[in-house]
Amino acid sequence: MKSDVIPVTTSGPPEPNAPAGPPGDPRRTAVTPPQSRRAGARARRRWKQWLLVLLLVLLSVPFVFPTWWMATSSLKPMSEILRRVPTIWPQDPSLDAYGQVFALQPFAQQYWNSLYIAALVTIGTMLVAAMAGYAFARIRFPGANALFVLVLVGLLVPSEVTIVPLFRIVNSLGLIDTHWPLIVIPMLGSPAVLAVFIMRQFFLALPVELEEAGRIDGLGRWGTFWRIALPLSRSALGAVAIFTFLKSWNLYLEPIVYLSSKENFTLPQALTQYVDAYGGPMWNVQLAATTLTVLPVLAVFLVAQKQFVQGLAHSGLKG
Amino acid sequence: MATVSAAVRRDWLVGYAMVAPVVLGALAFVILPLGMVVWYSLHDWNVLAGTFTFAGADNYQRLAADPGLTDALLASLWFSIGLVVLNIALALLLAVLLNQRLPGTTTFRTFFFSPVVVSLVAWTIVWSFLLQADGGINGFLAVLGIDGPNWLRHPTTAMVSVIVVQVFKNVGLNMILFLAALQGVPEELQEAARLDGAGAWRRFRSITLPMISPTVLLVSIITIVGSLEVFAQIDVLTGGGPGSSTTVLVYYLYQQAFQFNDFGYASALAVLLFVIVLALTLLQWQSRKRWVFHEV
Amino acid sequence: MSAQHNPRRAAGVAAALGAALALTSCGGGTDAPVGEPDAPSEPVDLRMTVWTADETQLGLFQDIADDYVAENPELVSSVTFETIPFEDYTTALTTQLAGGNAPDLAWIFESNAPEFVSSGALVDLRPLLESTEGYELDDIVPSSLELWEEGEGLYAYPFSNSPFAMFVNTEQLSAAGQPDPADLVESGDWTYDAARDISAATAEDTGKQGLVVRDFDYQAWENLATVWSGWGAAPWSEDGTQCTLAEPEMVEAMTWIHDAAFQDGAMPGPGTTADFFAGDAAMTITQISRASSLDGSFDWDVVPLPAGPAGQQNVIGQAGIGVFAAGEHPDVAADFLAHFTSPENAEQLAAYFPPPRESLLNAETLAAANPSLSEEQLQAVVVEGVEDAVTKPAHKNFAKLSQTVRAELDALWTADADVEAVLTDTCSAIGPLLEE
Repeated sequence: MKSDVIPVTTSGPPEPNAPAGPPGDPRRTAVTPPQSRRAGARARRRWKQWLLVLLLVLLSVPFVFPTWWMATSSLKPMSEILRRVPTIWPQDPSLDAYGQVFALQPFAQQYWNSLYIAALVTIGTMLVAAMAGYAFARIRFPGANALFVLVLVGLLVPSEVTIVPLFRIVNSLGLIDTHWPLIVIPMLGSPAVLAVFIMRQFFLALPVELEEAGRIDGLGRWGTFWRIALPLSRSALGAVAIFTFLKSWNLYLEPIVYLSSKENFTLPQALTQYVDAYGGPMWNVQLAATTLTVLPVLAVFLVAQKQFVQGLAHSGLKG
Repeated sequence: MATVSAAVRRDWLVGYAMVAPVVLGALAFVILPLGMVVWYSLHDWNVLAGTFTFAGADNYQRLAADPGLTDALLASLWFSIGLVVLNIALALLLAVLLNQRLPGTTTFRTFFFSPVVVSLVAWTIVWSFLLQADGGINGFLAVLGIDGPNWLRHPTTAMVSVIVVQVFKNVGLNMILFLAALQGVPEELQEAARLDGAGAWRRFRSITLPMISPTVLLVSIITIVGSLEVFAQIDVLTGGGPGSSTTVLVYYLYQQAFQFNDFGYASALAVLLFVIVLALTLLQWQSRKRWVFHEV
Repeated sequence: MSAQHNPRRAAGVAAALGAALALTSCGGGTDAPVGEPDAPSEPVDLRMTVWTADETQLGLFQDIADDYVAENPELVSSVTFETIPFEDYTTALTTQLAGGNAPDLAWIFESNAPEFVSSGALVDLRPLLESTEGYELDDIVPSSLELWEEGEGLYAYPFSNSPFAMFVNTEQLSAAGQPDPADLVESGDWTYDAARDISAATAEDTGKQGLVVRDFDYQAWENLATVWSGWGAAPWSEDGTQCTLAEPEMVEAMTWIHDAAFQDGAMPGPGTTADFFAGDAAMTITQISRASSLDGSFDWDVVPLPAGPAGQQNVIGQAGIGVFAAGEHPDVAADFLAHFTSPENAEQLAAYFPPPRESLLNAETLAAANPSLSEEQLQAVVVEGVEDAVTKPAHKNFAKLSQTVRAELDALWTADADVEAVLTDTCSAIGPLLEE
């Protein structure tokens, strides 16, 4: 095993300035002959590993249980879901709720709405943020700082604050009950600011020398950006993509305010529509629909996480 | 800058063109709405009655005299401090644990990340079940011989509950950012320090932490911004209570606007909220030179 | 995608632009009653916001609307029913109003009723309904209209009048050896004290909960109106200017509730929710329409609300339909409302919503709508429940009052609370709000 980045698993003589471990701490019993010391260190390390895994298992419970509850409750009848002591596994599992999900609403259409809106917003944001981030980082045009601060303001405005004026603007453009406000505003408005910020920081960290070659090859500023800088920023773009996609995918207040016909609804909004005749939520159907919206995203993450984390690591995504 | 060559001018033009979409977007979808909010805040606007009359600084004078606002500001303060500290501490802990090449790391990563993609409403409802007086959490504590509190019904524990539920929901994303940063810490540095005899904690504090401090800054900014959007959690878990202990500023603003139909006053609150966040962010940004290791 | 072609978009870009950019648009405020509509230059599209997402209900609405469009092609080209989720209904509706995009008609919660009625946001429907042939406004139970009236004006039609009743888990009661509430109703012994004792004993026996006032949860205190009405109590005076929370009858009622929860073990305490329909409670007070949530997993019965010291008092929950003055065609919208709630159509709507019309309030009409209830139950609970019923507390400043009272009452929900002191404090806290 090569050197661990993380110090916790390493063994060695106690350091005077380091806080003394508890009495049972293996670091305290360091006086052993060299040979068995190595073997003992390995055993200790294995012990520690298992302790850490146990810690991880315990820590996982509050993260996993709600998701588990959501998925299994979608197989329960309503009365069992609302029982005060939750059942870990449905007493009489049934897939009825999943049938209802599609029977009660144009769920496939709504799924598609969410998917294509999130995809467009993600691609658009990546492009817009990469351009702006690059220009703010690299090109010293007059007023760059002022414009950057102007853009950053968007980071500080919660959506509840501007929803009414934004609604008026969208309404005056005649775009109520269309997907335009859900695509254009996130791409250019406050939700995009974090992306611009991340991209700017990335390009600031990127050594200028990498672009010199392009300059020599006679590429202009745009060519350098498009052919050299952008491909190098794949990892930072990955971070932007996942943020942006999740944000759009989970958008709740805005669709409720902007959209009114069922065929136009997005998923978070559609979920609230599974109610009985008197406004009471049909929990099993809502949870079934929720499960259908969550599992694909989780699956993608499970597969892509390694590239994602490594991409971020190599991106020099440094504040 | 007396003379600027044509090539440089052309470069500037490319720069303007590249930032044009976000700058125009910011003007249309951030600055203009903010301006409208400021304009509304100078009016007495009852949406139902359809009255919109100029009120000058009345709404701002109301701010000064509103006891509910003081409570909301205090609640926001506690909420934000608790959220940021707990979120960063837990995200760091998880990232460090997951950076150990332990068995099952991939699975654990997915576990910790999963709440990020779960719908907020479903997430909050499960927790409202678990946090009941005789809910799952107190059931668990009873096994350990602890008599758990009535979480959502006491001011302190209610605030703690709202914070913890919010932290669990979003900490996965921050964990990923820290994990990425940790993997970017050069191993040679650690190795050198180890040869110098630096202990585990010491190396973490003197090498790892400074190396990832830019990420700490980024994560704290993301978390603070995220703490502004806590409406659904508070609404489902506590409804702002007990008393007004969990009525944070955003929730208070929401109540004024959408429950009390007092858009003028709500707009004044929005302006106040904006000024506070702006000041805090500037402060944070200014101080970064002191604690962020390398400004790049 | 749908983003590209939206029928309503082309229709009013210019008009909307003008309206929305004029920030000072005085949207509502017209108290002028609407009369017979003049034919607009071209047929209009009407829009009505509702909180139901139930396909069969929406289908029925659409059928009724299609008839109207067919009869009045010169007035209306279409009627759209827009579902806004229950939880976010008021937020979204308010945003639409604030954004200058008011719907033509809207369902309105009873708790918002005085606020909407007194604000001038709605048009007066009375002249039109009185003059519409065959509408028979006299047929409507007068007490059901009170909430929606101001002066001579009538600002909404209460399409839903759902009585509150006591649902009983008879299986749990008989297992615990408790008397059957239906017998107590018969003998005239069905009182709140009886309900409390039965609940406490049953909860003791089952290890579950006793009596649940549904949706109260120690937050939505206005739901306790079903209980304190039996004491003849109310939170404020009829005209809404005086706090009456500290009056003796309210103190007595609240003490009863407090002790039922903290001493007798008859009601779940704060932080404990128990769902009657999941079999977690012995009885629950809720609207009769909830019978649809019963899935047959236990035996149950439904009986009228028990009597308190001041006698038995029926309580109903209402919902109204109003026409927005700020809508584009209030006169056409009001004419459609007259059609939508005419005697014939009201009978159809009665399949889901207990109507306010005397002629329809009989067990046969309602039986079709409520298959899970027997005719006797309907007669006792619905037909007689709507007559002389009171509604839950309402006030034109209700949102703020509700919030303030909730925060104050939190002090009441501890075992050693001083009920009278808390209620007196609450009165001083809401005094200024009542006078506003």
